[in-house]
Amino acid sequence: DMAMDNRSSGIFGLVNPSYGAGDPGMNVPLHSSGGLSQLSPYLNFDPSVLQQTQPEYFSLEGASQKRGRFELAFSQIGGLCMVGGGLGGAHGLYKGLHETALAGHTGKIRRTQLLNYTMKRGSAMANTMGVVAVMYSGIGCLMYWARDSHEDEWNTLGAGSITGLLYKSTAGIKKCAIGGLVGLGLSALYVACGSRESRDKLKEQYNNFVY
Amino acid sequence: MEEYQREPCPWRIVDDCGGAFTMGVIGGGLFQAIKGFRNAPSGFGRRCNGSILAIKQRAPIIGGQFAVWGCMFSTIDCSLVYLRKKEDPWNSIMSGAATGGILAARSGVAAMAGSALIGGVLLAMIEGVGILLTRFTAEQFNPIAPGEMQDPSALGPSPTPPQY
Repeated sequence: DMAMDNRSSGIFGLVNPSYGAGDPGMNVPLHSSGGLSQLSPYLNFDPSVLQQTQPEYFSLEGASQKRGRFELAFSQIGGLCMVGGGLGGAHGLYKGLHETALAGHTGKIRRTQLLNYTMKRGSAMANTMGVVAVMYSGIGCLMYWARDSHEDEWNTLGAGSITGLLYKSTAGIKKCAIGGLVGLGLSALYVACGSRESRDKLKEQYNNFVY
Repeated sequence: MEEYQREPCPWRIVDDCGGAFTMGVIGGGLFQAIKGFRNAPSGFGRRCNGSILAIKQRAPIIGGQFAVWGCMFSTIDCSLVYLRKKEDPWNSIMSGAATGGILAARSGVAAMAGSALIGGVLLAMIEGVGILLTRFTAEQFNPIAPGEMQDPSALGPSPTPPQY
């Protein structure tokens, strides 16, 4: 209706002028307050019309803020490989120091033996963790694609438990089941406390429960 | 974007390590599956068993070797980028040669030189193919110069001038 589309015209212009008290652009101090307003009277404005919080990251339209499973996969696999190598190497070094001291080796032989122990344990541990990481990432990606690009925690839980089952699948039914349960437990732990948002959620629930 | 984008340099090493490990495990797994199948005693069940056993034993080791290669290659590549302050195919070729050389260090100088040569040539071929592909796909984006149009009817009907 033409009478209602412009509140500053017609009878509404007298009662509700667009420059009235309801307009936030009019919330201006009567006397200049120094600072920017020294430069120009037009800089006296109510800062509430400004958008205060800016988004932390830009993203293209339609792209999700979180990284997809496939993008994260290689860095997860590589990271777990390196961590496994480090842990295994440290374990091997410790064991090697113990054994060579026990056997009374010195000098060049001891150095070679220590290196052997470290490399053997380090590479074994790195390979093991890497294979588990490959299985987990692969099954996670498969579940994501099988569910028509739908991402939630069930992907993580399913991938963890199937990895556990698959990893121990040749060791008998009982060990296979234990492996599956371990996988399920670890992935449930990650879903509950792994990322910052889940930790914040837990903190919130704890506060709600206590107070 | 869904496109594959490389990480900035320090994290690129972890990415490449993981990518190389995955390639090694899957490729080695397939290879060992076939090899274990063929080398097992006759009978389908026993052959399958042999194949699975071979995968379990050898595939992680092959994956680990690929991962070490990838990690070393990427580390040297990132170091060269940092030192030379530019990114170009020469970095990859030199890294391939250096990686091949270092990983053969236990077998003496001659083996190191041979391995370095193979690594450099391999990377040069890969980079060369990459450059050719880039040039080929970039040609479709060339703008059409004014004199080159033989048949202007391809552009559509000419716009009629506005009637006043």
